[in-house]
Amino acid sequence: MTVSEEMTPPPVTRVGQRFLVIALAVWVAALTGGFFALWRYKAAATDADAEPSARWPADSTLRPAAGRATLVLFAHPRCPCTHASVTELARLVERTNGSLAVRVAVVRPADVPADWDDTELVARAGAIPGATVSWDDEGVEAARFGASASGHALVYDREGRRIFSGGLTSSRGHEGESFGSKRILSMLTTGVADRADAPVFGCALAVAAMPAEEDTR
Amino acid sequence: MSDAEAAVRVILERAAQRFQASRQELFVSMDRLFSFLMVGQWAFALVLAATVSPWAWAGKEKTVHPHVWAALVLGALLSSMPIALAWLRPGWVVTRHVIAAAQMLWSALLIHLSGGRIETHFHVFGSLGILAGYRDWPVLVTATLVVAVEHFIRGIAWPESVYGIVNPEWWRFLEHAFWVVFAVVFLGVLSRRGVREMQALAERGAELEALAEGEWRRTSVVERAAS
Repeated sequence: MTVSEEMTPPPVTRVGQRFLVIALAVWVAALTGGFFALWRYKAAATDADAEPSARWPADSTLRPAAGRATLVLFAHPRCPCTHASVTELARLVERTNGSLAVRVAVVRPADVPADWDDTELVARAGAIPGATVSWDDEGVEAARFGASASGHALVYDREGRRIFSGGLTSSRGHEGESFGSKRILSMLTTGVADRADAPVFGCALAVAAMPAEEDTR
Repeated sequence: MSDAEAAVRVILERAAQRFQASRQELFVSMDRLFSFLMVGQWAFALVLAATVSPWAWAGKEKTVHPHVWAALVLGALLSSMPIALAWLRPGWVVTRHVIAAAQMLWSALLIHLSGGRIETHFHVFGSLGILAGYRDWPVLVTATLVVAVEHFIRGIAWPESVYGIVNPEWWRFLEHAFWVVFAVVFLGVLSRRGVREMQALAERGAELEALAEGEWRRTSVVERAAS
């Protein structure tokens, strides 16, 4: 027997051939199903529980910047999807050349350990130039602004009118170009955008129930 | 047929055998190499998912993140067929094409698990470079087609996840494919050059073998005559 013959796999029998074809077909079908499921999960936006506030809430403890637009990002400190939102926010801030003030509200549910929100995500948000990080206990601010998912960004102009509401990523926890960031940039540079919203992909926030009379829309 | 023609024919037959043997050896060793890589990628995917996105949260409630299941189940599924074929049918033409397809799907899975980090996209080009080790350009074509089909289907179903916009221009697909095609064309040319070098080496080996045998025969005759 030559080296070539030793290395060549033995010929496949008819039964073996049929088994291989079936096994390969099952493998391809299972992979297709698996990847479709993954894509669907990544592309599924988080359902909004509330309507975002059309104006900067008067009773908010968060303060808008004077003379320029302000972006408020609500973040769950442990949401892995929001890492991509923070990355995209940093890129957006870099591209806006100081025309956008940033407030990051880290939502803390009730009855969690003191270090529960001491995470890398919060540290990264705090490292964005000009960004101010504050803690939103039990999601009171999130309720005032009408945000129910981590990664929800709301942009208000210098008069306190909402000009954008939505996410900064193209799919769940995925970095890269997104129409949310593009629309914000377009709003800030030209004053118009094809839409003033974008889907939000992120973990559900623990949002406080707000009394109806506190609605500032 | 003259003696010279017969000798040339023998040398050519031996060269062809040597070439086929060394090519088959290369295919088998590459299949085995990829089987280990498939295990390594699966382990890496599990570590990546467990590190980057271990939990999905809703307030203070946590559940196992779908990425962990994707790494565990989809990763195992992805690696299973290439590993099985690499050990049960090494060197078979289907084996290396299945490996090429699985390797490119590993790029897609790792990109998802890493949250679309631009650095993870380098896995596509690294994989093409390793696949070029087969010195079999159709393997690179299969890999390219898998990347293109994955991008094409996802671009139609969820365009924003590929291009960042809902209605991309039709040529955005080509823009993304260009760099893969760019790499594949040159890797394919280098693969063919590698195959030609293997053929030349096989011919030289066959010639040397024939010369050595001729020398042995001649010496044997002289020695026999002396005795």
